[in-house]
Amino acid sequence: MRKFDWRTFLRNNAVTVMFVLLCAVCLLYSGQSASFVMYELFGRLSRNAFIVLALIIPIVAGMGINFAITIGAMAAQIAVLWVIEWGVSGLPGMALAALLTVPIAAFFGYLIGKLLNKMKGQEMIGGLILGYFANGLYQLLFLFIFGNLIPLKAPGLVIKGSTGVANTIDLSTERGFKYALDGLLQLPFVQAMYILFAVLAVVTVVLLLLKKMKPVKGAIYLIVMAACVGLVQIPAVADIFSMVKVPTVTFLVVGVLCLFNTALLRTRIGQQFRAVGQNRTVANASGINVDKVRVIAIMISTVLAGWGQLIFVQNMGSFQTYGAHEQVGLYAGAAILVGGASIRKATNGQALLGCVLFHLLFIVAPAAGKNLFGDAAIGEYFRVFISYGVIALALVMHAWSGVQKKKNAKEALTT
Amino acid sequence: MTKNKLQRAVAIVLVAAALVLAVLGAVNLPKRTTQTGQEIIDALRIRTLLNATGDGVVESYVKIAQDEARAKAREDAKATGANVMATIRDYVAKAEEETRAKYASSQTDYDALDTTALKAAISTYAAQLADYQAVAQQAEQAYIDAHIAEAEAAAAAARQAKIDAGQEVGEEKPVTVDMSGFVATEEMKAAQLKADEGFAAVGEALCGIYPVLDAAAVNTLKGTITDVVYQRGDEFTVQYDRYMAAGSEKALENGTAAFLIRYADDLLYGALALLVAAATVLYYELLCKKLGIPRIIIGLFFILLCFMTLWFDLGLSTLLSNSLVRMGMNSIMVLAMVPGIQCGISLNLGLPIGLVAGLIGGLVTIQLGVPGWPGFLLAIVVGCVIAAVAGWLYAQLLNRLKGDEMSVTTYVGFSIVSLMCIAWLVLPFTSLKLRWPMGTGLRNTIGLDNTNFKHILDDFLAFKVGSFTVPTGLLLFMLLMCFLVWLFTRSKTGVAMSAVGNNPRFAEATGINVDKMRVIGTVLSTVLGAIGILVYSQSYGFMQLYTAPRQMGFIAASAILIGGASTSRCKISHVLIGTFLFQGVLTLGMPVANELVPGSTISETLRILISNGIILYALTKSGGEARA
Repeated sequence: MRKFDWRTFLRNNAVTVMFVLLCAVCLLYSGQSASFVMYELFGRLSRNAFIVLALIIPIVAGMGINFAITIGAMAAQIAVLWVIEWGVSGLPGMALAALLTVPIAAFFGYLIGKLLNKMKGQEMIGGLILGYFANGLYQLLFLFIFGNLIPLKAPGLVIKGSTGVANTIDLSTERGFKYALDGLLQLPFVQAMYILFAVLAVVTVVLLLLKKMKPVKGAIYLIVMAACVGLVQIPAVADIFSMVKVPTVTFLVVGVLCLFNTALLRTRIGQQFRAVGQNRTVANASGINVDKVRVIAIMISTVLAGWGQLIFVQNMGSFQTYGAHEQVGLYAGAAILVGGASIRKATNGQALLGCVLFHLLFIVAPAAGKNLFGDAAIGEYFRVFISYGVIALALVMHAWSGVQKKKNAKEALTT
Repeated sequence: MTKNKLQRAVAIVLVAAALVLAVLGAVNLPKRTTQTGQEIIDALRIRTLLNATGDGVVESYVKIAQDEARAKAREDAKATGANVMATIRDYVAKAEEETRAKYASSQTDYDALDTTALKAAISTYAAQLADYQAVAQQAEQAYIDAHIAEAEAAAAAARQAKIDAGQEVGEEKPVTVDMSGFVATEEMKAAQLKADEGFAAVGEALCGIYPVLDAAAVNTLKGTITDVVYQRGDEFTVQYDRYMAAGSEKALENGTAAFLIRYADDLLYGALALLVAAATVLYYELLCKKLGIPRIIIGLFFILLCFMTLWFDLGLSTLLSNSLVRMGMNSIMVLAMVPGIQCGISLNLGLPIGLVAGLIGGLVTIQLGVPGWPGFLLAIVVGCVIAAVAGWLYAQLLNRLKGDEMSVTTYVGFSIVSLMCIAWLVLPFTSLKLRWPMGTGLRNTIGLDNTNFKHILDDFLAFKVGSFTVPTGLLLFMLLMCFLVWLFTRSKTGVAMSAVGNNPRFAEATGINVDKMRVIGTVLSTVLGAIGILVYSQSYGFMQLYTAPRQMGFIAASAILIGGASTSRCKISHVLIGTFLFQGVLTLGMPVANELVPGSTISETLRILISNGIILYALTKSGGEARA
């Protein structure tokens, strides 16, 4: 086994380590109780994790962070509007919205993919600006077409005296589907953990018996799980999670998406994603239709982002018609980078870890800002700065390492 | 060849249509002031007047019927011994209903009425009213001239008081003189007397037509009648629209002719528009090659907006004057794109770094209270120094990541803006013009006024031609800066710099220090950004802090792209053309959009679409692969 080198580890995970420290400091100074932070964190995780996971495939396919997922969110919001208009509520409403999102988001994804193929190497800035551009079209659609040219009947969607769809779309009415997914099966944290661990333990044991897993690794898993179960028996630890209600089905869906990502990357198309991501020229030479593969990657990402937005919306219970999608790309992109992903490499684990850290900071930063500097606004601005800063930093580091590699290659050639 | 023929055919049809419209317009336009126009107006006026007074007549009939009913009710009640009050109430209500029904259903046949007397009376009355209004306007203007200084001083004092009290100072409204102290002059009274005589004559004529009207009823209708007959600033189109809106079109013997006369000017504009369309169709290929499709679309859109403002009578010259001002105030920020593109960092979307530096310069000036020109220059100097340092650091970063600048610059710019949001909260400025007196931090928008550099360039040597104001100082400054940058690009360093932007490898091979050139370009771009935001602020009248600078890099980038630049090549002319087109479309777009969809934000949507659409287009054209 290779010796663990602290310095390499730190260098490779600088952003994550820095973020852990930052979160720790903010947590310390925020003065918020651990149970409250945990409660908030689980709420935020349940509604945000899915959309962060939607970013993985384009990264693998070499297109960087897909900032155009805002367009997927727009597709979902269009679907939500019509589901409410038709008055399909509850879980059927959510299912219908998810179904409706697929063709819309896939169509948008197709267009995005086509456009991004025309600006290879500039996908991220292209996606960002495309998101802004699409926001203009979205406004046209919601301000001047829906509610004017295409009349809407459902109460609350259109406000008399103003043009277009109302500023807020409410899902908590009897027409909406607030908590359609979250409310299905809400368990206390400890119970949810037992179930999860039981399933994991069974899987591990089965794998061990089938000899698909190394015994040492399996044993470590089992011991860790047992230790966790032991830990929650301590009242102090159990107390931290006392407020947490786990929306089990939502997390189940997130888990399924993780499996989907992993499974997809093992299929033929998944291999093609990797090949295109590593080197377009080589992939092209080996007979892969690069443009097509890239379009597919973006389409999948856009549809997933749409579903992610649906999960977000059903948890929040209402959304800002003209603003709910705007920051989706920024926050999801920042989250995945915080978890240690780069714009060329990303895994489910990094996405989830990033989600935890990023949202932890979101919870504690304003209070910490207030306690440290006497002004909550500083914390607010600080977390926006962190979101942008993390992306900028990741881009700089990526570009830097690219330049460095080229330099090294050059030096290797000349010497 | 067939395509060419088709083009020609379409162009010929368009030109023919244009000629028809032009002839129609040219024939009909002068008719407004001749006898024909006067007759149309007279006919419409009489009809509107009769219509308006007709309502009064109905009221008179109702009143008469009610009186009769009341008398009858008394008698009947006496005869039957019923409750007097209740009977009266019933009878009166019934009479009113019947009378109203009777007159509402029977439309008066206006053509059968003899209106010769009324016509003569109204003509005289209209002339008298016009006289009176002219006199009144003169007197009011004199009053305003006498009191404007006083009002301005009061407004400034109120503003200062607001600042001292720590309230938000809104956009400065134009100062208005309080007219409550205004007393009618002797001349006005004389004119009024004459007009009253005229009104008496009109009243008499009306009574002749509607025998039921009495003098008292006519007097209650005085306001209505006066409004119909003459309003201040009346001319053919205004009166026509007013009478048409009152539903008097039936009075015209020949509605089409009147319509043509009313819209004669629009016919001429339409002819011109068709000619432009014909030329575009005819020379489409040439234009495409010279300008590129996006510029044609935006150029044509701009021309279309011009015609639409004419069509809706929105005052094209004022709007063009506004777009000139907005071109001037944005131009330096757009100019800042030039060194960036030329030195090879492509669109400098990190422009907010420079903008923030410029804002700090402005804050320092206000904090120190340096007024006027010295203040503006101080702001520029401080801003430039900070921008130069920040730009140098920024350039060091960019030199380490060649080829991937755009996304990095964007997010670095965003980060700096949000970092500065924190800085605005904690920077130790103390002036109450800058800070919130309660709470922490600087204000969101800092209103400039005459004690610092508001409109210092705009008002320098500014003059008016009709409603078109020329902001001479602003334009001169813009041209000066453009000239300086042009001179720089012609210098030895400038030529070397463009070589780096066009082909870095070739430039390196010829012995140019690529990194140094990139540093120079980036610093220059950042410094121009700092100057740009100060020019923008002095013209806008406000300095906007916090998140306001975030999107400005995009706006500047899209302007130069609209002007014809690409991500690796640009000229000064692109700056001027692009800024004018972009700002022109935005300035003209707002009122036109409001005319089409009242109270909407469609012009903001328009900005988003144009600004981001053009950047996307440029990105697709930059060819991606080649830069990787």
